[in-house]
Amino acid sequence: MSSTILSPPGRGPSAGPGITPAAPGSRHGQARPRPAGRRRRTSANWLLFALLAGPNIALLLVFTYKPLLQSLYYSTLQWNIGSAIARPVGLRNYTDWFTAPGTGQIIMVTVVFTLATVGGGMVIGLALALLLNSRLKLRGAARTIVVAPYVLSGVAVGLLWLFVFDPNFGITSAVLQGIGLASPDWYNHPGYALAMVIIVYLWKNVGYVALIYLAGLQAIPRDLLEAASLDGAGRIRTLVGITFPLLGPTTFFLSVTTLLSSLQSFDIIQAMTKGGPLEGTTTMMYQIYQQGFVAGTAGYSSAIATILFLVLLAVTLLQLKFVERKVHYS
Amino acid sequence: MKNRFASIPSAGTSAVPAGLSRRNILTLAGILGGSAALAACGGPSTAGTGGAVETAGTDWGSITPADRITWWSNHPGASKPIEEELIRRFTAETGIEVDLVTAGANYDEVAQRFQASAGTNNVPDLVGASDVWWFRYMINGQILPVDDVAAHLGIDTADYNTGLYNDYEFNGSHWAFPYARSTPLFYYNRTLFKAAGLPDRAPKTWDEYNSWAPDLAAANGGAVPMALGSDTSWSAWWFCNIMWGLGGQYSKEWTLTLDDPKTLEAGEFLRRMIHRDQTVAVSAADYVADFTAGVSSCTIASTGSLSGILEAAKFDVGTGFLPEGPAGPGCPTGGTGIAIAAEKSPEQQLAAAMFLQFIGEPEQTAYFSANTGYMPVRTSAADSAEMQAVYAKAPQFRTAVDQLATTRVQDWARSFVPSGDQHLTTALEKIMLQDTPAADAFAAASDAIAKSFEQNVEPYL
Amino acid sequence: MLAAVAVMILPLVWMLLASFKEPDEIYTVPIQWLPSGWDLSNYAQALERVPFGSFFANSLFVTLIGAGLKIVLGLTTAYALVFVDVPFKKVFFAVVVFALLVPQQIVIIPNYTLVAELGWLNTYQGIILPGLASAFGTFLFRQHFLSLPASVMEAAVLDGAGHLRRLFQFVVPMSAPTIAAVALVSVVNEWNEYLWPLLVVDRAEMMTLPVGLTLLQNNDGVTNWGVLMAGTVMVTVPVLALFFVLQRRIVSGLTAGAVTG
Repeated sequence: MSSTILSPPGRGPSAGPGITPAAPGSRHGQARPRPAGRRRRTSANWLLFALLAGPNIALLLVFTYKPLLQSLYYSTLQWNIGSAIARPVGLRNYTDWFTAPGTGQIIMVTVVFTLATVGGGMVIGLALALLLNSRLKLRGAARTIVVAPYVLSGVAVGLLWLFVFDPNFGITSAVLQGIGLASPDWYNHPGYALAMVIIVYLWKNVGYVALIYLAGLQAIPRDLLEAASLDGAGRIRTLVGITFPLLGPTTFFLSVTTLLSSLQSFDIIQAMTKGGPLEGTTTMMYQIYQQGFVAGTAGYSSAIATILFLVLLAVTLLQLKFVERKVHYS
Repeated sequence: MKNRFASIPSAGTSAVPAGLSRRNILTLAGILGGSAALAACGGPSTAGTGGAVETAGTDWGSITPADRITWWSNHPGASKPIEEELIRRFTAETGIEVDLVTAGANYDEVAQRFQASAGTNNVPDLVGASDVWWFRYMINGQILPVDDVAAHLGIDTADYNTGLYNDYEFNGSHWAFPYARSTPLFYYNRTLFKAAGLPDRAPKTWDEYNSWAPDLAAANGGAVPMALGSDTSWSAWWFCNIMWGLGGQYSKEWTLTLDDPKTLEAGEFLRRMIHRDQTVAVSAADYVADFTAGVSSCTIASTGSLSGILEAAKFDVGTGFLPEGPAGPGCPTGGTGIAIAAEKSPEQQLAAAMFLQFIGEPEQTAYFSANTGYMPVRTSAADSAEMQAVYAKAPQFRTAVDQLATTRVQDWARSFVPSGDQHLTTALEKIMLQDTPAADAFAAASDAIAKSFEQNVEPYL
Repeated sequence: MLAAVAVMILPLVWMLLASFKEPDEIYTVPIQWLPSGWDLSNYAQALERVPFGSFFANSLFVTLIGAGLKIVLGLTTAYALVFVDVPFKKVFFAVVVFALLVPQQIVIIPNYTLVAELGWLNTYQGIILPGLASAFGTFLFRQHFLSLPASVMEAAVLDGAGHLRRLFQFVVPMSAPTIAAVALVSVVNEWNEYLWPLLVVDRAEMMTLPVGLTLLQNNDGVTNWGVLMAGTVMVTVPVLALFFVLQRRIVSGLTAGAVTG
């Protein structure tokens, strides 16, 4: 990129004031601009800004925002993937989705899956973190084992658990039989199937939550907790009165990141249930894939994706507002 | 056709035109504006009519075949080495090289890739076209009707198994050649059948099966004798057997017949066997494993599973025709054919057709079939010496080949309508897993399929 | 704690045991815990059916380059957003953050088309570039940079350090915990990414491990679970081993107060 592209609009000579691109270690530009030479500084800063942030933002524009716009456009088409032609249908894909008989269930499944994986993940993750933060033997080993599944491939995890949950040949059934229970019909019952993919999702991801919470716990100053115990506060009171509030920022951080990854989760469902039985594990995200690539109705799929995007946008904006305010000043 | 994805200027980065000589904001605006412009022109065209490729056109006599083609396969039945050998033989004979590409682990993945590749330079010359996908390729205009080029090459289409070849027929043209084709087959545990005091054969009819079921259950600790799979792409396939046997069908050409009394009766028949008589169960997870482990005493599985089942089972495996109904036998076909991409040059297409001609020769067909367990697609191959050797080794395979005579082309509602199979699977799941009356389950599927047809098929015909 | 550890580890042990079993040992009632022998035939078969060596090399390359560049992009972008004074910074920050909300599926069809037009199918850049931009990392780094004491930057400026030196000699060392957190997430995501590489790669020699693994699944009903589990072991063990080796650093990096502020 030449520097001339990057000079500011409507200010100074269009060729730019002879600023050369900042080489590594260049001393152009300053963190705080001063009134004198402001224009010059501004152009230098623009150049610097473009060098540092430009590539990332360009990538986002090309591979995220442009396709987002394209997808918005596709959502107004009757278009089958692979087809050369498409028909503009206005908002029909949207009205079709809202009026389809299965949509209520898909929203339910999405909400249940999201709440269970995000909420359940945080509760279990926090519990594990508290355990890991206490003085135990082999704490390091336990910590490693708890976090280990997080680093595994979702496809591999799905395949593995498919096998663990088999009602005839799996471990769960062997374990349940050991205590005199019959294995639930994991694959043929929509409710159990949803529970199953949630369990697997949690198994894989809860270690990450635990790890981040552990980080939060260990950042709490010792003296605070000691002071509390000197005051005669019991363990529970210390936990509720001091530990939990101080973990607030961590919780918000986790709520944002786990929500985003939960809503985008795909590979476990793909490997285990393919959205079934009876679409009992079809989340909106899975439906987007299913409609776009399996059914091939790309226009319809794009409409669902747009709806999901808008929901995500709304929820996350709320969260971010909170996070910005709270996390930063903790 | 070619610029359906109106060529996106070389990379997104060109949205920052080299000549633009000023103004960072303008640059940013340019990138954003470029995005918008690209968004408007990328993707499909809303003008034009599209649909299937017209038949006539190429004068094949004047074309020289290309010397290199690409074939997208999922190597059905772990057939990669077999396919490589076929290619080696073809190259030795014609000098044409074939790039064999693993384009997915299953038919759906190959189809997803092929559809996504439309209009890009990544389109293969030959592509796997399974029973539920080839029609989609056709209405997308992605594949070539093979009749003309077959006639030019003198391919003996009459020697192909009629049912298997005509599966790819629509509007008087054929759109693929059969390749790795399978049917459902009745598998039974000979040890358990013997223990139950039953004859060593598959039941002739469903009624006979139901009369055997109590004995079979008693011989196997009370377990329901038959466990069937309920997955997508599977249950709506084997259900054809029960349904056709009772005189029902999903559709007659484009007319849905899911409310036909005979179709409903078939649904109720299945429902009764599972929920009232308990002569049939839905497998808890893997119907093949249930069978090979002796949990169930018989099942319906693909002919393509034969070698795997023989390998995994510790007992003697028997095979037989699918049970008949009052209206006679009913056996659908499945598996995959191979189609020729429409948007390649005639030279590529001719070379591709030559390859299809070659692997369709009785000797090659028998070689493929003998090594994979798929049906020999040529009539003259079914009795060849190579196949005889296979039958001698695994007599169960003979049953599968003989059953081909009873097959028929699938109902369009399942094989041609996008998501048709899925809607039917959902209906069958309701019947099998939730004891829903067939009338209710099929009515919902009927509405959904009708809508999909209206939106995704009708406009393109 | 013991119960928790058992739940976490049992499936992994099961996978390992299954990878040594013959088909008729896997499907047994009652369950057979131990394989009858410890021969490596399932592994041999998995290796013979698909080129695991190149899957592994591809995954390694894609992960190292992808995650590495992503972290650098995140750091430089966050630095620019915090320490370089230009107007409309909030707009740029918004551009970065909103990208977090765009589901992958929504962009996949247009991106596939673009990558195909560029002739980048079956290439590393085709696998890496579309997902390279750093939104999550930038967001976290920015949060962290904002919390750095102003005195540090002032000292750096007085020291006469240029921006790159300020970034890499002053800011980065103070951000190690956050970088550890972002690196962990980036590496894990790149290593395990499934849908995108599945679409843009169709040559076995360019496939990454998760995509290649599914090639071991079979059509027409019969999957040899022993072989598939052997493949799964080969996919998971390298990451687990790496994690075991690095876990102390990752954990201590995180617990040094990374994501709390």
